[in-house]
Amino acid sequence: MILSEIRFNSPQNLAEALKLLGELKEARIVAGGTDLYVDIKQGLIEAGNIISLHKIEDLKKIEKKDKKIRIGAMVTAQEIISNSIIAQYIPSLASAARSMASYQIRSMATIGGNISSAVPSADLPPVLITAEATVELRCSGSSREVSLSEFFRGPRETICQTGELLTFIFIPFLPPNTGISYQKFALREANALAVASVASRLTLKDGIIDRAVIVLGAVAPTPVKALKTSEFLSGKEPSQGLFEDASLIAKEEGKPISDIRGSIWYRKELIPILIRRALTEALLQAQGKSRTRK
Amino acid sequence: MEQNKGKHQIVVLKVNGEEHPVAVKDGETLLDVLRDKLGLTGTKKGCNLGVCGACTVLVDGEPKNSCLLLAASCEGAEITTIEGVAQEAKLHPLQRAFINHGAVQCGFCTPGAILSAMALIKCNPDPSEEEIKEALSGNLCRCTGYTRIVEAVKEWKKYLKTKKTQSLPDDLRKYRTVGKSLPRVDATAKVTGQAKFTADYYFKNMLHGKVLHSPIPHGRIKKIDTRKAEALPGVKLVLKGKDVPDITYGISPARYDEHVLAKERVLHVGDEVAAVIAVDEETAEKALSLIKVEYEELPAVFNPEEALKEGAPQLHERYKNNINTHVDHHFGDIEKGFNEADHTREEEFVGNHVYQNPLEPHASIAYWENDGANLVLYSSTQVPHYVHYMIARVLDMPLGKIRIIRPPVGGGFGGKAGTTPLDLITSIASKKTGRPVKMVYSREEMFLYGRGRHKQYMKFKIGVKKDGRITAVQSKIYLDGGAYTSFGIVTAYYAGAMIPTLYHIPNYRYEGFRVMTNKPACGAMRGHGTPQPRFAFESILSMIADDLGIDPVEIRLRNAMDPDTRTCNDLDVRSCEIKATLKEVAKKSGWREKYGKLPPGKGIGIGCGGFVSGAGYAIYRGQVQRSSEKKPETFLKKSVFPHANAIVKISEDGEAAVLLIQAAEIGQGSSTVLSQMCAEALGISLHKVRIRTEDSDISPLDLGAYSSRTTLMGGNAVVQASRDVLKKLFVAASKIWNCDRKELEARDNQIFHKKDKSKRMGWAEAARKYFNEHGPLVGTGWYKPPEGLGGDYKGAAVGTSPAYSFGSSVCECSVDLETGKVRIEKFTDYHDCGTPVNPQAVHGQVEGAVVMGTGETIMEEVMYDEKGNILNPNLHDYLLMTAKDAPDIFSGIVKSYEPEGPYGAKEVGEGATLPVLAAVAHAIANATGVWIKELPITPEKILKALKKKKNS
Repeated sequence: MILSEIRFNSPQNLAEALKLLGELKEARIVAGGTDLYVDIKQGLIEAGNIISLHKIEDLKKIEKKDKKIRIGAMVTAQEIISNSIIAQYIPSLASAARSMASYQIRSMATIGGNISSAVPSADLPPVLITAEATVELRCSGSSREVSLSEFFRGPRETICQTGELLTFIFIPFLPPNTGISYQKFALREANALAVASVASRLTLKDGIIDRAVIVLGAVAPTPVKALKTSEFLSGKEPSQGLFEDASLIAKEEGKPISDIRGSIWYRKELIPILIRRALTEALLQAQGKSRTRK
Repeated sequence: MEQNKGKHQIVVLKVNGEEHPVAVKDGETLLDVLRDKLGLTGTKKGCNLGVCGACTVLVDGEPKNSCLLLAASCEGAEITTIEGVAQEAKLHPLQRAFINHGAVQCGFCTPGAILSAMALIKCNPDPSEEEIKEALSGNLCRCTGYTRIVEAVKEWKKYLKTKKTQSLPDDLRKYRTVGKSLPRVDATAKVTGQAKFTADYYFKNMLHGKVLHSPIPHGRIKKIDTRKAEALPGVKLVLKGKDVPDITYGISPARYDEHVLAKERVLHVGDEVAAVIAVDEETAEKALSLIKVEYEELPAVFNPEEALKEGAPQLHERYKNNINTHVDHHFGDIEKGFNEADHTREEEFVGNHVYQNPLEPHASIAYWENDGANLVLYSSTQVPHYVHYMIARVLDMPLGKIRIIRPPVGGGFGGKAGTTPLDLITSIASKKTGRPVKMVYSREEMFLYGRGRHKQYMKFKIGVKKDGRITAVQSKIYLDGGAYTSFGIVTAYYAGAMIPTLYHIPNYRYEGFRVMTNKPACGAMRGHGTPQPRFAFESILSMIADDLGIDPVEIRLRNAMDPDTRTCNDLDVRSCEIKATLKEVAKKSGWREKYGKLPPGKGIGIGCGGFVSGAGYAIYRGQVQRSSEKKPETFLKKSVFPHANAIVKISEDGEAAVLLIQAAEIGQGSSTVLSQMCAEALGISLHKVRIRTEDSDISPLDLGAYSSRTTLMGGNAVVQASRDVLKKLFVAASKIWNCDRKELEARDNQIFHKKDKSKRMGWAEAARKYFNEHGPLVGTGWYKPPEGLGGDYKGAAVGTSPAYSFGSSVCECSVDLETGKVRIEKFTDYHDCGTPVNPQAVHGQVEGAVVMGTGETIMEEVMYDEKGNILNPNLHDYLLMTAKDAPDIFSGIVKSYEPEGPYGAKEVGEGATLPVLAAVAHAIANATGVWIKELPITPEKILKALKKKKNS
């Protein structure tokens, strides 16, 4: 497919976008374009009609509302990094955004795109899932809100239906004594996809783990919750020994594949290491001893 | 435009403060519109997939990859390109910082890097080093190693007030221009986007071509149906194998084995099958998909082991058992040498297939003049003369009817050291169509064309006395050559020839096999054939040092080469300061305090290396002449024609010296050092020298940028030409002053009598006077390597050189022992490049070599699937180090003087790569306790080795 042969539509507002989306059934939505245009240029996908959201101002804001943070789908990674609400409420999302690609790509790539592309190694979804984020899917006339953990179905496959558009991401304010850490393993320091990644969230209550959520990235067709590990951790007193045991359980919860970045064996070796590191850092944050900064 | 698919609309783009209404197709990228429609070619196309950053522009102040932005989506935005950075003819302080800190080499990544840095300093005027590296990590640079780019951004504020570009403090005493770290002569053009690379040229009525590549690794072409492609509106010409001359070409005359387009068989995925010439690139690309080729697929081989098996499919009839080159060299007596040894160690190593990946893709444009009598070819090449020679061969026309133009080249590293299918197809197609034809490789096509480093399977054995003195060295190496010879014969010889130059080796045997496989041909990459054997050799030397309890620096000192030595394989080493590089590098890095004393996970390692300063013999034999007219020539131990030639022409008012030499500036800085030598020899200021290297009609032959030859060979020719000018000038002046011309001297833009102070005249005035009486003031000079270089055995020519460089590197790293991840923290390097002409340029070459060599050691590798397809033909998956990966580098130069070199200078470009691989491998081994003997040393391999060690 030759990129220049696409038909480019740029609706002025959300209503227009949804209407267009309803009409052009085969159309693809483009946000930052950093995945889609690469795929088209490489001949991986065919695209006729493109609906670009770049003019829709409503989707470019980060706001606080009803004890939630609402992030528009068109907010770029760079905006997440420099936004004060994110820095205050969920700094680990900024860390995850900072680990993405390059300055240039981060200035274009959006949170909506990073989620909707459903690339297994995407950096933002693991942190968002640990924070129990939801996404709003809208189509002309209706909308639904779904948990992000239920959004992905496979590599580049989501529950989003024809005519539906991911408009907003909602992150509930985290309870006190909560820490989230994102650990990414990549083969170079920038411009690199995760070989494996882990987001761990710990919420403490009276020094005991009240809630643990662990999400693995790049080691399964979608970001996956390490449910057994989370369960194992709940109600226990955090310690290095506990994290060590937890990491071994988690090792079996990923279903990695071998590719040019790493083998199944290597990815399985990485998972427990990243989990232990993520839990350690999340704990420090939950105890108020550290803030996620890289 | 004849082709009008996809709808056009008028978009008003605001670029650099000016509004441009442009008709664009919906999906046209901002990059293509800026370049093709607005002529703003300072924005470069390097990868076209948003990784390299060469296309960076600012959109409302934010840096973005214009290759991933649609022009249609940029309406209303403020777009800044590199052309808009300098305001009212005044350079931006950042641009001046880039110039003065030596942050510019080939210049292809420079516009993007400057724009990313501009975005950074706008919101953060005092960025930390870490922040700078972060901001620049999306701008890949293959030349500089990032060191000076980061430094330039750090220091940018210093240039807020200075009006003029000023040079850095002087480094040297004796000379006026030579020996000083002066800014590059081409730097201003490169920081402003003014420098035009081949693909930046657009000619009226120009056509565009694309190549159809084989999708299979080995097969017979049964049928090609091009009718549908030909019928596509906008298609002007379709070429198949039978439409192009039936003449083979290549690099080494003994094995010309490539066809412009495949005749009967395809030998690798990517082999050229057909070409389409059309009104634009897209139409050509579309037409490719309409060509139907029927193949009879044949079995293929993908590594030397498979290829050498009995009954293996044969790639070329003439290379029996797929052996393209076999070398068997034996010097001294290997058996005796090993018998004398107190300790021997034998190890096997495997190198990796890495690709040069210059940021600028290969490009060619050809057109014909004088009713088809003369060809003009623009080519992004390191070796314009060899392209000239090869085009003359394939088109069977005299070289004199061909004009080769080599615009600035955006990096080569050996990947542009041969004639490409693009050079040939554009030349042929422009003749047939009567219109200029342009062809540019995509990043993927660059990988498919190949010519990267041979993967070598190496067995090395070294014997030493108790005190570490080497008694014998033996190696057996299989080189995975790919489908064609390219440089391969030379590569196979180089893999053995350079080993004895660093250390005294009394007995040496090397056996090498270059084997054909169904993959893109390998060629000459920085350090040609030598880096992997050097890595293996140095690694064993360090292992032996540990075996014997000798310090690794000490064992090297005990064996190190001495000046004025003939090696066991008959190479003549003249200046040689390897011992000084070892001593200095050990001192500077704190070696003795660190080696063996670091905690687990921290490591330090050493490696040495060196290279030729120009090949002793040209690639082809005989004279400069169309090859079909020459009789088979026997090898003579002397150069038939001069390898470097220069003309210095003084302007009629005497205010400028125009230096003409075809030396290929590919980023390494040759134009600058040659200009410096010209200014020095003439006794005038550097700013009065203008160098013209691009056009074969204007500048005399120079063999080009390979084998690290330009400083020494080009320099000698330039100095001779400059002295020829002075001689004439002095003869004329001595008549005026009635004195002997030998009593005159030129310096500081004056000529004067050495003793009689009353006899003094401005240089320009003297030149004007000369012109009045004698006409044009022109000097010529040339350089031939010394006669009789090398021994009398087969292959003795490879490795010969007028001079050799030497260097030692110390690498410091930390390794995450849980994941195997390596962080290269620091590099200390000392190089013997003779007396440097431009120290800053030397450091720039070293820093670039360190980062390239380190990347090669730990992350770079072209990977294939089981069908011979490249799995990572892009900069996303083929990993080049970013600014964030690059280590801190200290580059030092030891005192040295090479008598054969101009002003005592010799090479640095390739030699600086050679110590790197082993230094990194040693540091990792030192940090982890495991030696990884297979490149690249990835985290996964390290972890596997650590687990294996733990379990055993």
